[in-house]
Amino acid sequence: MGMFESDSLLCLTIIIYMTAALVALVFSGQQRISILLTQGLCMLAGLSGAASALVFLLSKEEAFHLNLFSSPIPFLSVDIAFDGLAAFFLLVLSMLVFCVSLYSIGYLSHYIGNRNVCAYQILYVLFILSMLLVFVAGNGILFFMAWEAMAIVSYFLVVFESENPETRKAGLIYIVMTNVSAALVLVALMLMYQYTGSFDLSHSAEQIPGNIKNVMFVLFLIGFGTKGGIAPLHVWLPRAHPAAPGPISALMSGIMIKTAIYGLLRFLLDYLGAGHAWWGYVLLALGIFSAVMGVLYAFISKNIKRMLAHSSVENMGILFIGVGIVLVSAAGGAKEVAALALMATLLHCFFHAIYKGSLFLSVGSIHFATHTKNMEELGGLIKRMPVTAVLCLGGALSIAAIVPFSGFVSEWLMYQSIFSSFVLGQAGLNILLIITAAALAMAAALSAGSMIKLYGISFLGRPRSSFAESAVEVPKAMNAGIGILVSLSLLFGLFPRIAVNLLNGIVSDLLGVPIKDQLTGNVLLVSFPLHINQNAISPALALGLCVVVVLLTLLFLRGIGGKYSQRIYGTWDCGFKALTPRMQYSGRAFSKPIKIVFRMFIKSTRELKLVGDAVYHPESIEYNVKTESALEKNVYLPFIRGVSALSEKLKFMIQTGSVHAYLLYIFAAVLVLMLYNRVN
Amino acid sequence: MEHYLDLLSVLMLLSAIMLVSHKRIRSYIRTFRLQAILIAVIAGFMGFESLMTEGSIDILVICVIIIALKVVIIPMLLHKTFANVEDVVEKDFYLNIPILILMSCVLVVFSYFTLSGISGLASGHVNLQVVNAFSVILIGFFFMISRKKAIGQIIGYLVMENGIFVTAIFSTHGMPFIVDIGIFIDMITAVLIMGVMVVQINEKFDSININNLRNLRG
Amino acid sequence: MSTITYLLLQIVMIILLAPLVNGVIGKIKALTQKRTGAPVLQMYFDLHKLMQKSAVVSDVSSWIFRVTPYIVFGTAVVAAMLVPVSVRILPDSIPGDMIMLFYILALGRFFICLAALDTGSAFGGMGSSREVMISSLIEPSVIVVIFTLGLISKSTSVFIIMETMAQRGSSFIGPVTILLFLAMLMILIAETSRIPIDDPATHLELTMVHEAMILEYSGRHLALMEFGAVIKQMMLMTLMVNIFLPLESFVTVAGFPGVALSLLIYLGKMLVLTVIIALIEVNTVKVRFFSIPNLAALSFILAFLGFMQYFVLGRS
Repeated sequence: MGMFESDSLLCLTIIIYMTAALVALVFSGQQRISILLTQGLCMLAGLSGAASALVFLLSKEEAFHLNLFSSPIPFLSVDIAFDGLAAFFLLVLSMLVFCVSLYSIGYLSHYIGNRNVCAYQILYVLFILSMLLVFVAGNGILFFMAWEAMAIVSYFLVVFESENPETRKAGLIYIVMTNVSAALVLVALMLMYQYTGSFDLSHSAEQIPGNIKNVMFVLFLIGFGTKGGIAPLHVWLPRAHPAAPGPISALMSGIMIKTAIYGLLRFLLDYLGAGHAWWGYVLLALGIFSAVMGVLYAFISKNIKRMLAHSSVENMGILFIGVGIVLVSAAGGAKEVAALALMATLLHCFFHAIYKGSLFLSVGSIHFATHTKNMEELGGLIKRMPVTAVLCLGGALSIAAIVPFSGFVSEWLMYQSIFSSFVLGQAGLNILLIITAAALAMAAALSAGSMIKLYGISFLGRPRSSFAESAVEVPKAMNAGIGILVSLSLLFGLFPRIAVNLLNGIVSDLLGVPIKDQLTGNVLLVSFPLHINQNAISPALALGLCVVVVLLTLLFLRGIGGKYSQRIYGTWDCGFKALTPRMQYSGRAFSKPIKIVFRMFIKSTRELKLVGDAVYHPESIEYNVKTESALEKNVYLPFIRGVSALSEKLKFMIQTGSVHAYLLYIFAAVLVLMLYNRVN
Repeated sequence: MEHYLDLLSVLMLLSAIMLVSHKRIRSYIRTFRLQAILIAVIAGFMGFESLMTEGSIDILVICVIIIALKVVIIPMLLHKTFANVEDVVEKDFYLNIPILILMSCVLVVFSYFTLSGISGLASGHVNLQVVNAFSVILIGFFFMISRKKAIGQIIGYLVMENGIFVTAIFSTHGMPFIVDIGIFIDMITAVLIMGVMVVQINEKFDSININNLRNLRG
Repeated sequence: MSTITYLLLQIVMIILLAPLVNGVIGKIKALTQKRTGAPVLQMYFDLHKLMQKSAVVSDVSSWIFRVTPYIVFGTAVVAAMLVPVSVRILPDSIPGDMIMLFYILALGRFFICLAALDTGSAFGGMGSSREVMISSLIEPSVIVVIFTLGLISKSTSVFIIMETMAQRGSSFIGPVTILLFLAMLMILIAETSRIPIDDPATHLELTMVHEAMILEYSGRHLALMEFGAVIKQMMLMTLMVNIFLPLESFVTVAGFPGVALSLLIYLGKMLVLTVIIALIEVNTVKVRFFSIPNLAALSFILAFLGFMQYFVLGRS
């Protein structure tokens, strides 16, 4: 165990996190100091976690197992298995934690004096620690315990601002759905134990018969799908992510929903081995559905955080498409295609965590400065919060998959993996793939549209309310955190080979095909292209050319037109001369055309109230539009009503309130167990 | 040769889809005429080929009949019948036009899947032509279902008839002469009868919306 | 050496000749309306005049408003450099991917939409929201066209696609290419904001999409926006003619005369496509805004059927 080897760094990381929790507890009186110390320690832990992962990935160490704690009680041992996949996700987690903690130093200053900062910080550290354990768990029991811990701690964080009834309701929906899905995962793990005799994830799954594997697939799909927010199981996501405080939403959207992808890859690809192609088809279909539904609802949202939450649903759909292609091509024997798809999926996880984190943090800054999350009350923030505006623009460009940011690289790799999987040559698959590509294109265009709406309505134009008028720039720590994330996104967008090199080990572990074979062509110093088979992109070259062109254009314009002169005047108002902020386009108006085109999926009801006697000249007009999710109305509500009705009826049958009944239950249970023991 | 037949089959499919995307009665009739011209060209090609190889002028005769009937007479008849109808544009649809276009696309995929099981059609070119032609039949039928006015049913029937003819000719490169003549006589009779009925219905009820038939329920 | 020659050739042919396309279209429109119309070089004079005027900038707008024209122009030029005018002169070291091409254009579109919202006027918001709808409906057919062409040529690189299509010789009109050409024609009309999707010569807000977004621009900013739009148009037209009408097999001479002949053929093809666009513009009207999804669906279906034809046939 050397000083800078990954296992020692990993242990160091865990120790620093636990210290941070202790520090938060100790300094609970002096809130300012506790914030600085705890978040600072979290940043340090983030750095050491990233270092541990990088050392592992770059030096191609062997996967190692650590047994931190074992006891004679069976299954109660902390068994850590650190391989490439775990290291990669740890890297993503750590980078995000570093920036979010830096951001929190500024953000939590609003909580000093009003809220329980100590509880928040302890929960925060425990949340990160539980996610870390999920990634590095070596056996099923530890995985499940960390999974449940993550769910419960995040519930408390979501309802942290519990004076708001919406928040409480969001928390309730979240905890119910998460726990139901975790129960399904537990059943799958129990099946695993029954057929292989152990929970150890490094054992092979060959003893499990084929149809049990299918059952486990379905259980894992529903369990991880709910956590990841795949439609139709996503209803908790648009409620819970906006309700949570800013840094927590960033962590939840950035890395917590990615634990679903980790779970799928770990259990389906690594443990069960890619067996059947139909697993991939189901994932593809669910992915397409989520991507399109998510982005449609994102486009029509007016709450800026809810828009980003719906966009997370869309991106999880894209990730499911990626995993689907991995499974389909691995089952079909095309290992190179599977390797490419796996690389695309993992890179999309990474980049999405970075830019979604930066977007949620920027939106948190908007909320910090203006105390509102409603887009229709914002506007003109670019002049009042210039730095935040620039950083938010970077995040928005990334998520819209625009050259030269990292979103484009992962989107391009997704397209390439779809393109390469036509080689499998089955009829139905080809049609499904082209529909996937078309859906991906439309989702990308609509997500660019929703970012235009978010940025344009919130930051540009005139302020639509006094909240927006009185906004001031946020503390520097917050901008620094977002700035690091945005510059990472730009860095990976311009030089994608850096990120791709990290993945070489993982892909060759899981699929047996090293990525280096795919990357043909040499790395030219000027253009840093990324080659896949015969296709190549070079965002750096495009950016360089664009800069050169713009400079030449400036010179040319100077030559023809002389020095630039401008006159500041009002916006063109057709001679009306009394433009108010209400006359700008609102967010709802912006999304109206898409709402009309897709009215079959988005059903809204509107009501129009006219106040005043005259029919043609009313005193005031009230116009209300409500959009209800068809899924919730037709699927969830009847189900919930049915379950509630059933439990009302059974309520007094089981919980009679009589002590004798309860004693009878216990006695009957003991008798049944004794009988069961005898019979087996 | 096969190449040009491929091209013509694709143009037929295109004309069927164009038909689904139109809303005006005059455009329906015009698109039908375009399709009839395409069929005549196809028949002409096949006719010349059979003239060269076997010396039979069957198919060429059919080509001439097609030109006379479908390109000239039937569109004229239809134009005259519908000259007195009130609404020239269909505004009322069960499903909007983009969905209808997407569904005709699904029909093409469907015909590919069902026809790919037939052995003997597995070779590249013939398969393409037959799939396109069969899709025209399905799209014609779909057009009949999706339109509310009587003109929709007539044109849909005619397009189906076109599609059947083209499918037969692509898969066998020829059809028994007598069968063809029989079909033509059937078709012309049907169109005449339907045309007369539409004129009567229009005079009586001032509308050719066949949905109004539901008022006859008891 | 080859890269520099290529870049110079691209600049001369695409960038310098781009305003001519608008001139020719205007002349054809005028002739069909029995008037003389503006000279073919009119757009050059307009751009020159605009570049010399000072800009009027709204007090509500921010740095995004002033940066956007440069970004739009820059991305249009970079995209133009990725689409070769002649298959005989291709660069060695510039990787040009067709998907990246359309996403570079997306950067320009993003900033135009933002700049339109920046001025706080209702025109801009309206233009942005309409543009977002049109572009999101047309993207699926773009991707299907790219994928089908890529499957035929086994790669999504623009250069390889053009070379493969050029090598097909005289059988370039086939079931697949006709459908893809028609789909691409609709994509061209949507991306360049021409009738029947958008009217480039209107100033009624009922009918504006692209015009609404550049309404506030003046002076050199407007010159850059207009120039960027025509360069984008020229680039898309070059893409279409070189992929779908490759007459390279008729050029049997090698070396410099071969290149010159190839460039002449290119100019001829561009003229043909310009006339087609002008005739479409003269003979159709701008459709109702919510009929645009019909056109987009039609374009997607054509592209999808093209894919199906390729796929059913086994080879193109």
